[in-house]
Amino acid sequence: MTTEINDPTDVRPTSIPTAPALNALPARNLAELVAQTCARYAQQPAFTAVLPNGMFGNLNFEQVARLSDQVAAYLRGGLGLAAGDRVAVQLPNSLAYPLWAFGTLKAGCVLVNMNPLYTVPEMAHQLNDSGARALIIVDLFADKLPAVLEQTKIEHVILVRITDLFPSLIGFIAHNIMKYWNRIIPEVSVPVTTGTAALAQGANLIRDRKADVASYTAQTTANDLAALQYTGGTTGVSKGAMLSHGNLLANVAQIEERVAGEVIHGKETALAVLPLYHIFAFTANLLYFFHAGARNILVASPRPLANLQRAFENYPISWVPGVNTLFNGLLNEEWFADYPPPLLKGSIAGGTALYAAVAERWQRVTNSPVIEGYGLTESSPVVTLNPFRTSRPGSIGQPVAGTEVRLLNVFGEPVAAGESGELAVRGPQVMHGYWQRPDETAKVLTDGWLLTGDIAEYEADGFLRIVDRKKDLIIVSGFNVYPNEVEDCIAKLSGVSEVAVIGIPDSKAGELVKAYVVPKAGETITAEQVREHCRQSLTGYKVPKLVELRDELPKTNVGKVLRRALRDEEQHKAAQSTQRASGGSRG
Amino acid sequence: MVSPTEQLLLALMIGVIMLGMGSSLTWRDFRRSFKRPQAILIGFASQYLLMPLIGFILAITLQLPPPVAVGLILIASMPGGSTSNIFTYFSKGDLALSVTMTTFSTLAAFVMTPLALFIYASRFITSEIAVGMGSVISGLVVILIPVLIGMAVRRRNANIGAVFELIGGILGVVIILALIALWVPRNAGLLATTPWQVYFAAISIGALGFLFGFITSYLAGLGFRRAATVSLETGIQNGPLALSIVLLSFTGAIADEIVLIPVLYSLFIVIISSFVTIFYRRQNNRLQQRFVALL
Repeated sequence: MTTEINDPTDVRPTSIPTAPALNALPARNLAELVAQTCARYAQQPAFTAVLPNGMFGNLNFEQVARLSDQVAAYLRGGLGLAAGDRVAVQLPNSLAYPLWAFGTLKAGCVLVNMNPLYTVPEMAHQLNDSGARALIIVDLFADKLPAVLEQTKIEHVILVRITDLFPSLIGFIAHNIMKYWNRIIPEVSVPVTTGTAALAQGANLIRDRKADVASYTAQTTANDLAALQYTGGTTGVSKGAMLSHGNLLANVAQIEERVAGEVIHGKETALAVLPLYHIFAFTANLLYFFHAGARNILVASPRPLANLQRAFENYPISWVPGVNTLFNGLLNEEWFADYPPPLLKGSIAGGTALYAAVAERWQRVTNSPVIEGYGLTESSPVVTLNPFRTSRPGSIGQPVAGTEVRLLNVFGEPVAAGESGELAVRGPQVMHGYWQRPDETAKVLTDGWLLTGDIAEYEADGFLRIVDRKKDLIIVSGFNVYPNEVEDCIAKLSGVSEVAVIGIPDSKAGELVKAYVVPKAGETITAEQVREHCRQSLTGYKVPKLVELRDELPKTNVGKVLRRALRDEEQHKAAQSTQRASGGSRG
Repeated sequence: MVSPTEQLLLALMIGVIMLGMGSSLTWRDFRRSFKRPQAILIGFASQYLLMPLIGFILAITLQLPPPVAVGLILIASMPGGSTSNIFTYFSKGDLALSVTMTTFSTLAAFVMTPLALFIYASRFITSEIAVGMGSVISGLVVILIPVLIGMAVRRRNANIGAVFELIGGILGVVIILALIALWVPRNAGLLATTPWQVYFAAISIGALGFLFGFITSYLAGLGFRRAATVSLETGIQNGPLALSIVLLSFTGAIADEIVLIPVLYSLFIVIISSFVTIFYRRQNNRLQQRFVALL
């Protein structure tokens, strides 16, 4: 898959440079990648978790190796999981995250990343769909456990603290502040194993020679499944993208190829403020920067953004993977704009469109570029990335090494030169399909070509530009919101007759979720009731910011609600007001 | 009024609190204050131009007896104290700006306090009021040295710095509560015999300081967080310094009368500041950027 095919239907302008072939993968599997990296950088700091008040905990590479071995030994030897069993990890950025993610991979198990803010129904769906046997959950959200366990077949629950592996006194103080002052740690009412106890058990198994961690992945190849990364894809049903060891290793190598010479191995400090459970930070921070021997600065919550101040003040941050909202937000923080990180070399933007105005201001304020890339969960995620020195605003750059790109018309045929079409991708980073959903897989994957659902066009010299999205997907701060899911939720509220959900442009979040609700005849509902109802079962970013109550919705002659008409209406309104926000974002 | 042992204990506790405050600061924070000197200037103006004037107007309108009026104008002409730093910290304001303003106003006190007293108090009293160099300097030392140590500690080890900050914060609350709890029984007699005009003056001077300090700096475009910081700095005066000046310059019955408002002020300012701080803290929290769903 690393060679360019000679395709007669390939209509790219002749001047477009083809992506270079991809070099060999950096390791046989991810477990080996972790082990090799840890051996190379041994005593150097690998992960530093920083709390808003500046308290921190460190793990060096040697500790990451040892402790993730303990996790693997615990999962296999302690819990009796088998290779290929799914392990759900639902943790915010904290020292425990890399240990449990790497430990799962070292155990030969399949990592199922899960958003800690998920509601009970969302968790239950993902756990049941993946068939996870063990759940690693942070104590902050342990109150959801009883309901989740009732609805799923989870056999083992491991409860982890944000402050686990901090220096003991600091961890004790920080834990008790959260528990008794902030009161954000609920009581646990179901049997669990603590993260600390699990590590100790793993350590014992290794010491007593009852667990041989290296043997767990001795047979694991690039083709074996590494992670189920859940996504709504382009259709809205939450499903697990099957990412193999080879997919993720390839993407590490592809990023490396694009930033070679800029990222100095063993010398960098990367900010990990995007959540590691999300494919962007997972590949960029946890895999790529880790592999490059960088120190990852983990921030559990960037809300408020002032939580990042200590991280920027106390550590020589040289790389920031982020999304448009993060860059924009930081520029609006006075402490950041006054003293931007002096050693910052570059930032990588993804997840959603990076506004040219934000990119220019970032360059001016930090005196370092922000380069935009494009990708999807289904492609591990990076498909294209701008070249570091000649990054182009408004463009998603060029395909990374070993990656083929085509633009297709509605019939699935390549478009003529200069025309825009649906972006299709083939490369070593493209997933193997959706977990146990051949029908969904067939919709997006043919002969290794992945249909992205995004409409792109070429610029004369081979840079790609996203021009539109095919589907009705809404992207809030880089997070995908599927109108169907939100509409389903609102429709369950009694008193609701009809509902339609669209995204409207917003200068801060990229897009906002807006719901149009038609109450049943003779009933009254309020916008706040609708929002409150959504909060019960939807994660925060999916809850409509705006709710408009009206008497009817625009429909086609067969009675299908026309979201497009609502969007046109909004656009018309926006055009009339002087303050116009630019649209255009993608997944 | 306060025994030397208690004074020492108080200074020690203030020192520990300021160590904690310092642990939350970096040099950058101070450089950022100097980047926008208008905040420092407005703070300075509201402290030495606005406050004495408010004091004077209050004294005239309430027709306070001359010695009581002198006490009022004296407290109005004081520099800021460490208490303003503590409340600024709790309000999530600009602590570096607060410490900077306290430092400047304290250093300027050698000139500005006698000047303000000369302008506004000379019609009430003829005798000289001495501003003791020693108490001014020692007040500053108690603030600045621990702050510098705290900053150094934090730079060396952020974990220890954060623990210091926490201890300082807890001690800050303890001392605020203790000041109120200890003050009331001690001065119960005083509270019972004081006429309403004096109460009114002692409470208003701080409250009006907060109000006008805020309005002036907000209108000057400092933004909410800095305006709140200047407001606290303006309203909260160095009460202990006023007391020591009175004791240094006067004796007997007249001293008792002059000291009346500084003593009452010292009680009520802690109470009003607590409420104002809770309000500012809420607003400052609300104004922070909390963008959606990255956790």
